[in-house]
Formats: sequence, C-alpha cells, structure tokens
Amino acid sequence: MSPPDDIDLTRPQFIGAKVMRREDPRLLAGEGNYVADIKRHGMLHIAFRRSDHAHALITNVDVSAAQAMEGVVAVYTGADITRLANPYQATSRMKNYQATFIPPLAVDKVRYVGEAVVAVVAISRYVAEDALALVELEYESLAVLVDPEEALKPDAPKLHDDLESNILAAREFARGEVAEAFADAAATAGGRFHFTRTTPVTIEARASVAEYDKGTRTLTLHCTTQIPGIVRDKLSEIFDLPGPRIRVIAPDVGGGFGGKTSLYSEEIVACAIARDLGKPVKWVSDRMEDLMTTGNAFDEIVDAEIAVAEDGRILGVKADVIGDVGAYSIYPWTATIEPVQVVSFLPGPYRIANYAARVRAVATNKTLTGAYRGVGRPISVFVMDRLLDMAARKIGMDPAEIRRRNLVNDDEFPYKAASGLVWDKSAFQACLREAADGIGYDELRREQAAARADGRWVGIGVACYAELTGVGSRIAVAPGMPINTGTETCNVAIDSTGAVTASFGLASQGQGMETTLAQVVAEELGVKVEDVDIVLGDTASVSHGTGTYASRGAVFGGGAGILAAKAVHEKIVRVAGHLLEAAVEDIETGNGDVRVKGTDKSMTIRDLARALYSDMGRVPKDMRDEIDNLEATKVYDPFFGTTTSASHMCLIEVDPETYKVEIKRYIVVEDCGRVINPLIADGQAHGGVAQGIGVALMEEVIHDKTGQVLTASLVDYVVPSAVEIPSIDVVHVEAELPGTVGGFRGLGEGGTIGAPACIANAISDALSPLGIEIMEIPATPERLFRLVEAAKAD
Amino acid sequence: MKPAPFDYVRASSVEEAVAALAASNGDAKVLAGGQSLVPMLNFRVVDAPLFVDINGIEGLDLIEEKEDGGLRIGALTRHFALETSVSVRDRFPVLHEAMKHVAHLAIRNRGTIGGSLSHADPAAELPMMAVLLDAKIVAAGPDGEREIPAGDFFTAPLTTVLAPDEIVVAVDLPGLPAVTGWGFEEFAQRRGDFAVAGVAALVTREGGTVTNTRIALMGLHDTPVRARSAEAAFGESGIEAAAVAARQDADPMNDLHGSADYRRHLAEALTRRVLTAALERAAQ
Amino acid sequence: MTAKISITVTVNGTAQAADVEPRLLLADFLRENLDLTGTHVGCEHGICGACTVLMNGDSVRSCLTFAVQADGAEVETVESLGSIDELGPLQQAFREKHALQCGFCTPGMLMTATDMLRKYPLETDDDIRDGLSGNICRCTGYQNIVAAVRSAADKRDGK
Repeated sequence: MSPPDDIDLTRPQFIGAKVMRREDPRLLAGEGNYVADIKRHGMLHIAFRRSDHAHALITNVDVSAAQAMEGVVAVYTGADITRLANPYQATSRMKNYQATFIPPLAVDKVRYVGEAVVAVVAISRYVAEDALALVELEYESLAVLVDPEEALKPDAPKLHDDLESNILAAREFARGEVAEAFADAAATAGGRFHFTRTTPVTIEARASVAEYDKGTRTLTLHCTTQIPGIVRDKLSEIFDLPGPRIRVIAPDVGGGFGGKTSLYSEEIVACAIARDLGKPVKWVSDRMEDLMTTGNAFDEIVDAEIAVAEDGRILGVKADVIGDVGAYSIYPWTATIEPVQVVSFLPGPYRIANYAARVRAVATNKTLTGAYRGVGRPISVFVMDRLLDMAARKIGMDPAEIRRRNLVNDDEFPYKAASGLVWDKSAFQACLREAADGIGYDELRREQAAARADGRWVGIGVACYAELTGVGSRIAVAPGMPINTGTETCNVAIDSTGAVTASFGLASQGQGMETTLAQVVAEELGVKVEDVDIVLGDTASVSHGTGTYASRGAVFGGGAGILAAKAVHEKIVRVAGHLLEAAVEDIETGNGDVRVKGTDKSMTIRDLARALYSDMGRVPKDMRDEIDNLEATKVYDPFFGTTTSASHMCLIEVDPETYKVEIKRYIVVEDCGRVINPLIADGQAHGGVAQGIGVALMEEVIHDKTGQVLTASLVDYVVPSAVEIPSIDVVHVEAELPGTVGGFRGLGEGGTIGAPACIANAISDALSPLGIEIMEIPATPERLFRLVEAAKAD
Repeated sequence: MKPAPFDYVRASSVEEAVAALAASNGDAKVLAGGQSLVPMLNFRVVDAPLFVDINGIEGLDLIEEKEDGGLRIGALTRHFALETSVSVRDRFPVLHEAMKHVAHLAIRNRGTIGGSLSHADPAAELPMMAVLLDAKIVAAGPDGEREIPAGDFFTAPLTTVLAPDEIVVAVDLPGLPAVTGWGFEEFAQRRGDFAVAGVAALVTREGGTVTNTRIALMGLHDTPVRARSAEAAFGESGIEAAAVAARQDADPMNDLHGSADYRRHLAEALTRRVLTAALERAAQ
Repeated sequence: MTAKISITVTVNGTAQAADVEPRLLLADFLRENLDLTGTHVGCEHGICGACTVLMNGDSVRSCLTFAVQADGAEVETVESLGSIDELGPLQQAFREKHALQCGFCTPGMLMTATDMLRKYPLETDDDIRDGLSGNICRCTGYQNIVAAVRSAADKRDGK
C-alpha cells in the first residue's frame, strides 16, 4: 500500500507555507500567560522610589515612615541590596573600554532621573505606591551632564569617580587612503547628522515575578526578558547560586524589540527580595517607569562626509561618531554595542575602498542606552544613504542610479566591507531593481515632476542596507563581550507517549517562533506541525542558550532545530529498520508515520516510541543500548552569520502649511533567504517599518538641561497609530540561499534599519527645491517648519 | 501608576452633588467621564479626599432642540452622542465636524461635554466650540443655577470661573443665522491627540454680503479664544489679512509638541483654510 | 484607609459582587479580583487602548474607569468573544489575517473593533484606521489588523 493520495509528502511540506500561528488561539481568547498575569499565594508587590535628580549625592535615606505604613512588608535601600547581591558590570575585551558597576538600587549617588533608589514591598501595588511618598530622600546636587560633547571634554565632571573619563569606549577604523580620495573627488558632501534618542515602547512593559523556595533553595524568576539564559547565568554569579537552582522563565512576552535584551536592576532587586523574605514578589513596570528606565536607543551625533567621482562612484567616506550612552554601560551588551555598530556598518552594501571612522561612547546623566531594533544600523544607513543622496544631487545623478553603481555586484561576493565585515552573497542589486519595479520608480519620478510644477512637496526615498544576521561565534554581537552569543541549543525529544518536544534557549516576544520552529522540526522529522510542542524561554529546558535578539531566531533556532531533528530522525530510522524489517535506506517518515518505501509496511512514530521505551522485547537490548532514546541535543554555530539585505522605497508628501509628512507608498524588497512562513516574515517587515516610521517622524526621548525626562508619558512620547502608518508592500527575494543550516537569514530588525533613511531621503527630495537636507530626525513638523523658515530667510 | 486613596459618593441629583461638594469645603472634586481626570489621578498629579460621581444623575444627557435653532445640551451628554446627533449635525455642522477629532471612540463613549468644559484644556475641541458658538454654560451651585457666557468661562489652562461647589449642568447653544458657512481645522501629529493648534470659523452671509464672522482658536492661547483681530480683518480685507491677523490673536506657548512660532504659523495657515471653507459653504 | 464600597458588576454575563476601594481601577478589578487577565494594562493613562472593555455595550478604557463606576453595569471582556477552542468571528479574522504578533494589544484591539463594527459603517480602510487610532500596536504595523477588521466588516455587511 502506498501512502494515501491526499497527503502530499513532497518536501518541503511546511517550510515556506503560510501556517497559521499556534500562539494565536490563546492570545486571542485572552488566555495568554504574561508575567503580569502570574499570581502566587501570598505574593507581595514592589514599587520603586526613583531619583528625580539626574546627578546627585544621596545624603540621607529615611524609610522609617514608609516601613511603618499599614500594608508595607519591607523597604529596601541600596545598602540592603548590596548585602544581598554581588556587584556586577558589563566587561569587554575591547581596547579603550571602561566598564561601570550598575548598582541595582543607587548607593551614595544617582546618575539619571528614574534610577531606582528604594524598593517598597507591600500587599498591593496601590499600597506600595502610597508608601513611596513616605520615603524621605535628601540629595546634594552635582553638575548634570546632558550634552555628550560637554561630557567628553577632559575637564568635564565625571559620572564615575573610578574611571578615567566619561568616554566609556573609543575605537577607530581605517582602510585605504581617505585623504587622497577626497582630494580626487568630483564632489563631496556631508555635515553633522543627529539621530535622536528613542525608546522601544513595548505595549507590555517590563515585569518580574520572583519566588524563592526555601526548601530546595531555588530561585525562580518569571520575567519579560528576551535573554533568559543570559539573565540566569548572571544571576547565578550575583546570588552565588548554581544554575540548576535558578530558573528564568520568559512566558508570553508582549514585544521586545531589544528593550528586553538587557539585565535590569528590577529583576535583580525582585530576586534579592524574594530570597530575603522567602515570599513571592511581583514588579510590573508602569508606563512612566518604562519610558524612564527601559534601555533607550540610538542617540548619536555623526559628522560624516562622502567623496564621489563624476560617474557617481564612491571614492571615500569619513565619519566621526559620538554616542550618548547614558549613565552606565549596560549588561551584557556594554556601552559599545550601539555606537560601534554605527561605524562598523556605515559603509553598508556599497563598494567603498577608502574609509576612516572614529567612534566615542560617552556617559551622560541619562537613562542607559541598550539594544533597540536595528542597533546602530538605522543610524549607519541614515548617514550613508543621506550622504549618497546629497552627493547624487551635487553631481546631478538619480538616487537609484547612484546606488546601482555602488552596490556590491553579484560577482563580487564574498565582499569584505571597508570596516572589515564580510558580506556573503546576498541580492543587493536585485533588491534595488525589484523595489524600483515594484513601486514604479520611473513613473513616480514623472508624477513627482508634475506635482512639483504645481508647487507640491512630493518626494521619493530610497535606502539600501545590509546587515549581518545569525551572527555566529566568529564575531560577537557586541565587540569583546564576555558572553557567547554565537551558538544556540536545541533538544528534540520523542517521549514514551510518542509526543515530540523541541526545546530551545530562544525566547519569543511575538515573533511566532512556536509556529515557525515547529514547521522546521516537523519538516525534518516527518511529523505533523501540530504534533511538535515547542518549548522556549525556560532555562531549565537546555543547558545553554542566550535568547532572541539581533535577528537570530530563524538562523539559530532553525539551524539547531534541523540538526537536532536530523539526529532524532536517524534514530527513528534505525529503530524502524529493525521493527519493519527493512534497510534503513528504505525507511521514510512523514505525517507522523514511518514507512518502508514502495511497500504497505508502516507504523506510527508513536508506536515506534512505545516499542523502544515500553514494550520490552520489541527492540533488542543491544540496539536500545546504542540508541538510548529518541532524543538529541544539538548546538548550532553559524560561525560568521549571514547577510540580509534590502531596498526600501517610498513616496511621501509634505503639507506646505502644516509640515505634516504623509507616506503615500512604501515598498520593502528583502533577501532574507529561505522564508519559513511568509505570513510571519511579512509581519516582521510591516512592524519593523512602522517602528522606523515612528523613529523618522515622531519618536524622541527629550531631556531638559537638568536631565529631567520630558517624555515620560505616551502623550509626550508619540508612537504612531494606525492612521500614521501606511500599507507596506513586502517582496521577498530568495536569490541564492546562504550557507546556514536550512538556508535561513535573519529578518527581525530590517524594517527599522531601512525606514528612517528612506523617509529622510524622501523628505529631503521633496524639499530639494528649497535646498533642504534632513540631517536630524525625527523630522517632526516643528523641525520641518524651522528648516523651511531658515531656507526662506536665506 | 495607581491613584491615591479617596472617598467616593455617587450623586443621584444635581442638588445632592452640589451639597456633597459644598460639604467638603472645596476639597472634593467632580467625577464625570473621567477621561482627563483619571490619568491625572493615576499619575498622582491630582488627588482629592472625595470624588463626587455625577454619572448617575438622571436627565443630564439630553440634546434638546430649541426654537431659535439652537440646542440645549445636558452636561452628561457623551462625546459619542454629540458626534452622532442628527440635531447637532443639522444645526451645528461645525460641532459635528469637531467631534470627529475628539480623541478616540472609547474616550468619546465616556467623556462628557460638561466634563470637557470644566476641565478647560485650551487645546481641546469642546471649550473652543463653546467659545465659537457663543455658548451659555449653565452651572448649578448651592444658590441655584447661573448662566456663564463661554467667553467668560475659561480663565487659564485647566481653570474656569466655576466655584468648587458648582457643577456644569447644561450648555445652551444659540441658533446660528441662516446661511452660515463653517470651517474647522485642527493639527495634531497623531490622530486623536490634543491639538497642536486648531481654528474654527463661522461666516454668515446675507444677500451676498458677509454680515458676521466668528473665528475661534485652540491650542494657541492659554484658553480657547475668539480671534477678534482676524475677525475684523476678514470683514475689512478678506482671507489673507485675516490669516495674518490670526497670528496676533494667538499667544501660544512653547511645548514639546510645538514652538510658539510654529503654532503662530499654524494659526495663520489654518485660519486661511477654515475661512476659505466657511466662505465656500456660506455661498452654497 | 478609605471605606470600601459594595458593588455588583455583571461581567461576561455573570453577576460579580465585591467590596472594593473606590480607587480600584476597573482593569485591576477584572484582572486581580476576577482573574480575567485577558484585559491588559499598557499605559494607565488612556493612550494605548490595551485595557479596552465594553461597559453597557460601549468600549471604554478600563484604566480610566473605577470599579465602583461599573456597579450595576454589564461589562464584557475579551474572554466573552470566544474561547481557545471556539474563537469568535472577529478573533478568527485576526488569526487568519495574522493581525497579532505579541498579542498584548490584541484584547483591546478586539474590543475596540467590536464596538466600531456595531457603530460605524467603516466604508473605507481609512475609516477603520481612524477607528483603531486609539489602540497602539508596536508589532504589526497595523496593516493586518486593518485587514482583519475589513474582513469582519465585509462579513457583517453580507459581502
């Protein structure tokens, strides 16, 4: 009997299919399990009294009145936490890097507004907040540093007395002969670019529930983290507890975007208190806390210049980057991650022989900066693609054409970029071509000319980028970091009930990895997608794993999943060979069955599991000794990682009276390798672009001169609604699959990397009759108004 | 972000509400729709020992047509009811238009006209509409009711002439002359946000001549105001002159959402737009 | 400590009696007192819309409503729209159109959309975007949410 006709076992069966997400029913029915939903008997609630000073000595802390309030169980100060938790810092082997200790509660000194100073533990969050007002704090103000250019001066007051200066990291890159390149140029262009500070704004703010089991001396932290493994490993050191006695679980998490990829003070404080009191404790960030304390992003000043030849060839690029990294060097990524990425990715997908860049990461009295979707690269692309447009304007060349002439060609891969990064083959040129075709570039240019003749400000934006995704052990995600982000683990197990479980060190924050990883494992194993259970975000499930960040989920999870599933598949085939009395080469799996090809001999994998585990006698002892079980753990290391590239194009119009920017068309053409699930891949591009639009047009964390955060509500920190975001066309180019296991490239961050540059270019294009170049974003109506007023005054 | 403790009383009549407010010696506050108040309570920037909830008072959510072509609107009329009222649409199309800009459905389902006027946000639509439409605001206190012209009602941002023991019970909108065209424009960076600036205009024509012009501004002053010099300039010299004059009527502040200069620029641009629209509609 | 007040709220068809502090937000009442954690809290100042529920049939922010104000009212939460095993039509449309990623804004989106679908014709996608503009989503870029509501509106209209 041959397999039933109605089941197509042609591979790929699941990879590439629009499989509906298995996460959805529970999330749609309100049955998700987010950290804030967790309840425990006797659970207490934490609220933090936070600093309202940006830089000050703490001269007195009096918690007696708060302590005495009805409903308050305990109050902890920085000194208390120092006794309960070992100090920690984000170290790095990078030269010219200075680490800072990050006190979970401030001790002696506060360094930014919002820094936690005192933790109140009470019977409810309401009561805990009541008690905050009774905490008495006295401060002695210190000079506040909000301007990074002031902070890097040799005579600037220091944020950290034990460091040499406020420059937490400095690095230089150089290739070729930059001075000569500029001397030979037909045109040069450039200036000072400013990419302001933003914050991720996950709709679920950060939260922790910590429990300590006194009997087993085990600490369990349910946490909104993207990096449960990294958190577990560090908590082990901070609390002197071995790994098995710390379990970090990230259940359903409401968005991450990088904001949840760092170890946060509140997580440590919650654990310290749970252990100290022996009671479960919960902390749920409110929105004000979130806007003041979750790792901020970007915030760079870049002085950059480009030199081009008459034919548009890039001759050289120079850049000097000052990154405002905030008060401490964030764990684990360090203060280097954002600004160093700016310079290492600045040459982008372009052929640049001569490049010189310098970067300095400067501490200021502001919230720490950390990872946020794109990390550094939104700035690299903003600067590089703005430079290209500015140069193109000078030599009278079309923006798409100057890119075509400079993008690395298909026959030039692998290409070593000017900063030393190596691009494996990716469809740089094809993405540009298809984006132009998709949006109807030439026609849009004609329409633009007509609109311009009517006095309308219509602009077309183009931006191209390349990013390294699934970065393996050869390169660290952040330079010199002491943790390994270059591998990921998967365990695939078929248990004695015949059920398949695949466990990963990854964690999901909405990317749909329960679905996509099930697709990958089911494909390899020959079972149904719905029969694969996926375990994510639980440090008890694999011995090592770091989490989900840096567009690595598909590459690492897909790769490790395939390797582990393959290994289990081999075991299945060997056992099946015995049970079905056939040669292993003749065994195939599919739909949860094992079959002998071309015969009617088959059995279910479930029956095979029973035969191996339970029905003693069906599988001989020597084979059982050899096979052990239907389980395999594999670690995948993509070593270099792989290149994802894309071209974005858009059409915008600026209202000449209100200066509002309307995005009328937007297209993304990306090469993210083999697409596991097109629904999910498109959704990542939509969401990424939407965040990029927010960054380009409205989102900005603003501090005043005294370091107060003026954008501490969603009224003042404006993120886009459905009205401000257009429909986005997404096209996937699967040109040539990369060498990663499974052929996957990462795709989480791309939308946010390309969109700010694309929109800034479009606005500059629209306003080019006035000679306006967008050098600072967000390009709010206010900023555009000032630019136009200044241009008119000239 | 949880509110501080407070006591709560639900009033079932205006008298009961006023009595409860009066008994608190000015410390109690009124809770109507709560859409502006509760955020401030959650941020703990406002608190009070007692909140008097007036949502249960019967008869305050009416929209009544008056013989002069006007409307009496009860203080507890929800924004959604105003937005969808046929009487409002037919008699005050400018108000109908403005309501579409008020926040979002869930806010409009709860927010009330009395609450919005009492809250007196200078960048909100309803206070500006009250000023534009020459509304009479009816307030009840321990000594009974009094009528306050909208132009006298707002004294500063989030401040009105209401005494601590007075509540708004109704708003009277006098009817508009026939052949009155209208224009409404508001600018906010995100849909539904408070306006960075907004301008509304009414232009009345009789036999081809403009006989009356009213222009009101929001987000451009510390209270909603009539743009008197723009109104005058329009009568004398037309739209361009009025638009330029509106800059002078504006006395905006600098904040995160816009500088005073940009807001003045918007005053001019939006005045131009609303007058153009109003004139066109008055010609129909 | 202020005096607690006895309330009875009909939530998803079941009368629920409780003594609550006047300051207790409806969102916390639903989540903490009734264990209906499908209603999410995202900003507590009325901007994000994650906590949207229906009160007497109208969508409201449960973070801007006190539980005492719901005394005697009918409240419907996301849990009323369908179950894991049997999603309601709007939930099903969200699933089919991939209109959710992290799912945190989703209950608020669903409750807002439920109210919109009852109150507005939603002739154009711009109308849908306008109606959703008080609910912030950071994952989807809104496009698929708009598509899901469009699909539900078309079904409503017999298209």
